[in-house]
Amino acid sequence: MRQDVSDGVLVRRVLEGDTEAFSGLVARHRERGLRFAAGMLGDSADAEEALQDAFVRAYRGLKTCREPDRFGAWFLRILVNRCRTRRAGRRRRDALFVRDEAALERTPSRRAGDPDWREEIDRALAQLDGLQREAFLLKHVEGLEYEEMVPLTGARIPALKMRVKRACDHLRVLLQEVNDARVG
Amino acid sequence: MNARILGLAAVLGALVRPPAAAAQVERLAGRLDERTRAAVTAIVDSVRAAGVPGDPLVNKALEGASKGADGARIVAAVRALAAGLARARAALGTGASEPELVAGAAALRAGAAPSFLERLRGDFPREPLVVPLAVMADLVGRGVPPDTAAVSVLALVRAGVREADLVAFRQSVERDIALGAPAGAAATARAASVGDLATTGVPSTAGQTAPAPHPRKP
Amino acid sequence: MHGSAEDPLIARIAAELRQPPAAHPDFDARVMAAVRRVPPSLPARAWTWLREPRILAVSPLGGLAAAAGVAALIVAGAWAAARPGRAGGRASIAGAPAAARVTPTPVTFVFMAPGARSVAVAGDFDGWDRARMPMRRDPSGLWTLDVPLSPGRYQYVFVVDGRRFVADPAAPRAVGDDFGQPTSVVTVAGGASRAAGGSL
Repeated sequence: MRQDVSDGVLVRRVLEGDTEAFSGLVARHRERGLRFAAGMLGDSADAEEALQDAFVRAYRGLKTCREPDRFGAWFLRILVNRCRTRRAGRRRRDALFVRDEAALERTPSRRAGDPDWREEIDRALAQLDGLQREAFLLKHVEGLEYEEMVPLTGARIPALKMRVKRACDHLRVLLQEVNDARVG
Repeated sequence: MNARILGLAAVLGALVRPPAAAAQVERLAGRLDERTRAAVTAIVDSVRAAGVPGDPLVNKALEGASKGADGARIVAAVRALAAGLARARAALGTGASEPELVAGAAALRAGAAPSFLERLRGDFPREPLVVPLAVMADLVGRGVPPDTAAVSVLALVRAGVREADLVAFRQSVERDIALGAPAGAAATARAASVGDLATTGVPSTAGQTAPAPHPRKP
Repeated sequence: MHGSAEDPLIARIAAELRQPPAAHPDFDARVMAAVRRVPPSLPARAWTWLREPRILAVSPLGGLAAAAGVAALIVAGAWAAARPGRAGGRASIAGAPAAARVTPTPVTFVFMAPGARSVAVAGDFDGWDRARMPMRRDPSGLWTLDVPLSPGRYQYVFVVDGRRFVADPAAPRAVGDDFGQPTSVVTVAGGASRAAGGSL
């Protein structure tokens, strides 16, 4: 387990020719990446494909990673772009409601927590404007500061704050009733 | 200190934080809400100058996150651990390794006296103390009175008992306690028998210097 | 932080979304298979050249922007070398704690749970990540996993079916489990003598 080897060390090893060291970076950033991609694209094979795509691009462009010890942030930027490209390439209406049989079977054992509540959340997320959804996930799920979100999204802080606020307002409208019914 | 200032401080801190430490706190990303992450990061940053390692603090925060604890509880636990690591460092000396500090903090937390750590370090300035400290923590955690445990462990270490035998000693004591023996008596009795083997030169039955494997559940 | 961050509903939504999903078991393998197909873009020789301290008179990449990038990499390299070496890390220097020179020992985790669909280990050595260390099941319902660990004391639990935390019945308990759930402890021996090298 490479827990005690930093991202920076792994990046440098890969750049020196140790391709297999990249698997350590994959293992470490796979989960967070999938969480974001699944939030953006729906919990489906699509998210995994986008994530895999992002990793391969990261490997290809690894020499442009200026701060190897901050590989995570650099990689997230690549992933944000991959998700944007994917969304642009398909109709949003279909995206989050496509669940193939395998995914349906996998979902209960792959995710701790309440599957129905999660499905409601996914439905609500699907109705958000893409940039609002993205900003919401980065801020409230990934826990980033607005300053950190600027290089990832290319937007400035006031715009990001507005997107997050609108996303929250919209989610509140969509999910308050569902939430009340669950809790009450 | 309101969360917004904490958040900004975290970002500014990140700008001057050396890369290794940045990697440490990046492990928290996405696992904690912003406020808790900022608070934990602030603790890690503030104790780094005192020689307290950040990884155990990050691990503690991740443990809390994984167990679904709320932010305040996580921050309290991280703070307590940071204090424990600092006390362990004071007792074990500034050259103590991270695993020694972690084990030392656990021993203190379990009820060992700082003097035990100091005596251990004083007797063995160059040996790694992870196992004696860990065994001490486990024994006291299991109900052996701290003084009794300290006497037993010190005696065994001074007798030259190997690390694997110390671990086996702890396992035997736990078995005895599980079977109904009073904790203090179990520790004393086992220590005596292990100590005999060590001083008479009869090979220990506990095995090689590799760490004792987990016993399989029957 | 005000407004939405205080909103309990938003917090609930975020908490649910924050649950780490488990990727398909083949995911890592698929990524590495794709990665191996990528032709190497920067020759190892050139990278080694870049890492050696030199006056930045000539940069193989050319251009001021590239030189700035190279300078950043060299600075980052210097910082990495100055960090105290830890087991498994390359950046070990004279005076680093002896643990830096000790190779990890495989520790076998064992848990009997015939009725479980999945069991994983979560602990200090894997960032308490429920999905990262799945155990292997044998026909009798015994779950095992070998984990290489450097000398030290680690807390951990078994995660059953992705949601239930169970302490290891065969291991000592952590004292004062801080989060209301019992935690197990494993201690790995084997630290080298600190006197080795003599430069502490």
